[in-house]
Amino acid sequence: MVERACYLPGLDPQALHWKTLTFGQGGGPGYEVAVPVLEPQDMTRLAAHVRHHAAQHLRPLPVSRIVEVIDRVIARLLDRKDPYRQRMEQALPVVTGYDAEMVRVGLTRYLKTFRKPELLRFLAEDFPNPAILDEFQPLPKGGYGRAFGPGVLGHIWAGNVPALPLWSLVCGLLVKSGTIGKVSSAEPLFATWFAEVLAEVAPELSDCLAVVWWQGGEDAPERALLQSADMALAYGSANALADIQSRMPSGKRLLQFGHKVSFAMISAEALDPAKATETARRAAEDIARYDQQGCFAPHVVFVEKGGHVSPRVFARYLAGALSAFGQRYPRRALSMAEANSLAAWRQQEEFAHGAELIGDALGDWSVSFHEGGQGFGPSCLNRAIRVVAVDALTDVPNQVAPYRAVLQTVGIAAPPDALFRLAGLLGEAGVTRIAALGDMTTPEAGWHHDGRFNLSDLVQITEMDARAPPAADRLASYDD
Amino acid sequence: MDFSGKTVLVTGASRGIGAAIAKAFAAENASVVVNYLQNAQAADATVAACNALGGDALALQADVTDQAGARRLVADALDAFGKVDILVHNAFAPFVFSPEKRKLFWELDWSDFQAQIDGSVKAAHGMIQAVLPGMLERADGTIITIATNLIAHPVVPYHDYTTAKSALVGFGRNLAMELGPLGIRVNTVCPGLVYPTDASRAVKEDLKQSLIAQTPLRRIATPEDVAGPVLFLASPWAGFMTGQTLYVDGGAMMR
Repeated sequence: MVERACYLPGLDPQALHWKTLTFGQGGGPGYEVAVPVLEPQDMTRLAAHVRHHAAQHLRPLPVSRIVEVIDRVIARLLDRKDPYRQRMEQALPVVTGYDAEMVRVGLTRYLKTFRKPELLRFLAEDFPNPAILDEFQPLPKGGYGRAFGPGVLGHIWAGNVPALPLWSLVCGLLVKSGTIGKVSSAEPLFATWFAEVLAEVAPELSDCLAVVWWQGGEDAPERALLQSADMALAYGSANALADIQSRMPSGKRLLQFGHKVSFAMISAEALDPAKATETARRAAEDIARYDQQGCFAPHVVFVEKGGHVSPRVFARYLAGALSAFGQRYPRRALSMAEANSLAAWRQQEEFAHGAELIGDALGDWSVSFHEGGQGFGPSCLNRAIRVVAVDALTDVPNQVAPYRAVLQTVGIAAPPDALFRLAGLLGEAGVTRIAALGDMTTPEAGWHHDGRFNLSDLVQITEMDARAPPAADRLASYDD
Repeated sequence: MDFSGKTVLVTGASRGIGAAIAKAFAAENASVVVNYLQNAQAADATVAACNALGGDALALQADVTDQAGARRLVADALDAFGKVDILVHNAFAPFVFSPEKRKLFWELDWSDFQAQIDGSVKAAHGMIQAVLPGMLERADGTIITIATNLIAHPVVPYHDYTTAKSALVGFGRNLAMELGPLGIRVNTVCPGLVYPTDASRAVKEDLKQSLIAQTPLRRIATPEDVAGPVLFLASPWAGFMTGQTLYVDGGAMMR
């Protein structure tokens, strides 16, 4: 199967060089994905084209119309009879290696959070009056304001979680920016399909976004994009982000979404015989979904002592739940490097940290149980989880505080009082999202991504002084 | 169905399912022995209700897990009413149904199992030994034991309780084989979760809701729901049924 990962309005595909990325090994059908090799001048032309068309066609649209367009695109991608949806279901499992059923269910769960009601909430979260994106609106302090997104917003995506670019694509559209997105070599397809469906749904917007590719870390095309865009968003490791930042022309903003780590906390109250297995199932779901590749997935589960079901028994329930999950949604095949890193993690847990290892080395999950002592520590991912018994969950925030810069989501299973008390302590420690256990990997529409504002971070407010309209009045023809 | 002239002995009849069965028989004009272990007040209330419904009831205290207690109970019942036509063995060892607080398998000792087996099988054995001579003399009698639908599907694994109730079903089937030729029928009723009873009061709404969702008749059993099938099995309408297990759980188990 051959797919193209690019969307290049205004460029002649015949005139470009192409490169082929190959996906899928072993049994099933593989995929070849053709990606364009763009010269810096191509990037510059593309940016100019997108900037021009966004100014002509996207910026004049009321934001409510943009919401409707996105809603219709998402409806198409949710429709299992739609050819694009079918291509997604066929290709993304092969390209990313994730289990096909997990991809299918995960896509639906994720796409559902971008329907019109969610998009409206998304807007309302950052703009009490979203019409501020359309025209000057009265401000509470007096005067008027209007929010302008960047003329061209550059996106540099990373990782292999299917459809990840959707988040920032939607943000860019809502603030009416022209978009140039650079796809990750590990999942280059979704953004292209989004652009193609958008062009079908709203042909007038078909030249307002572009999808490009280059080998991650390559200097010239990245520099060209960063120079042509007014602002950029980038995902990736700390090193990759530092490189991108170094190429960013001074005076332009780069919004960075670095790798984050998440963990789970389980209170004694969630550990009676009636609740413990469900608690374990929910934790397993957070661990197994996309094999912990997303920032939202837990690396460690802290389990409070004193419940009817002990942390040790909970670790076994968790192992059982991971095993059951693995039967429904097998883990993707590991690369040699990943397999080595898993073996090293298991060895480290067992011999260096004295953990009890549950699950055998060849299985598709590993649980290490620590009666105490060990605290937070990053997992090698791919369904490897450390379970740590703690006397009280309130001890955990101190243990994780040294990781402040990289903390993100905490999945909590605890009664209401404890939930809020822990949330306060965790927020102090740097955590930016508290979720119910089982919901860690599916954040709500409009959540403050890594503690930031999604849309208001992208815009610039043009203010009209409160005294300006009265002053204008004096120059009106009707002035007397 | 008219049970005039019939004497029914219901073990564990002061409260809950047992009391509902006693009252249902009383409403059909039976003489009813309301056995209880501790709660004399509740037993008296059940007797009063039975009498008000037109039956002729009597409360008798006895620990039926003790063979002597069972023998004394039956002797007292015979003194009062002359015969026992129908035995409903409903009593069981104290047990609280709480999915949250139940013991996990590795927290249970054999003594926990023993207590439940004594409460169901040993008590049934003692009671049946005691009523059997009279039934054999008349070549007529009906025995009904109360088990649980958990034997078919232990939604919550109450190991000790459900194991004992499973044994009771096997016990009843063997007895049915033995006593059928002698004119005595033995059947079992397996209710689903019955609410409210003192034993089931701790069951939370979530579990009830999930049971309701899996129950075709979309509700939880009441004590009165259990009485109907018991009366049916005791009646001549069930005259050709023995060794049977009737599930009274709104269709949750279909077998």
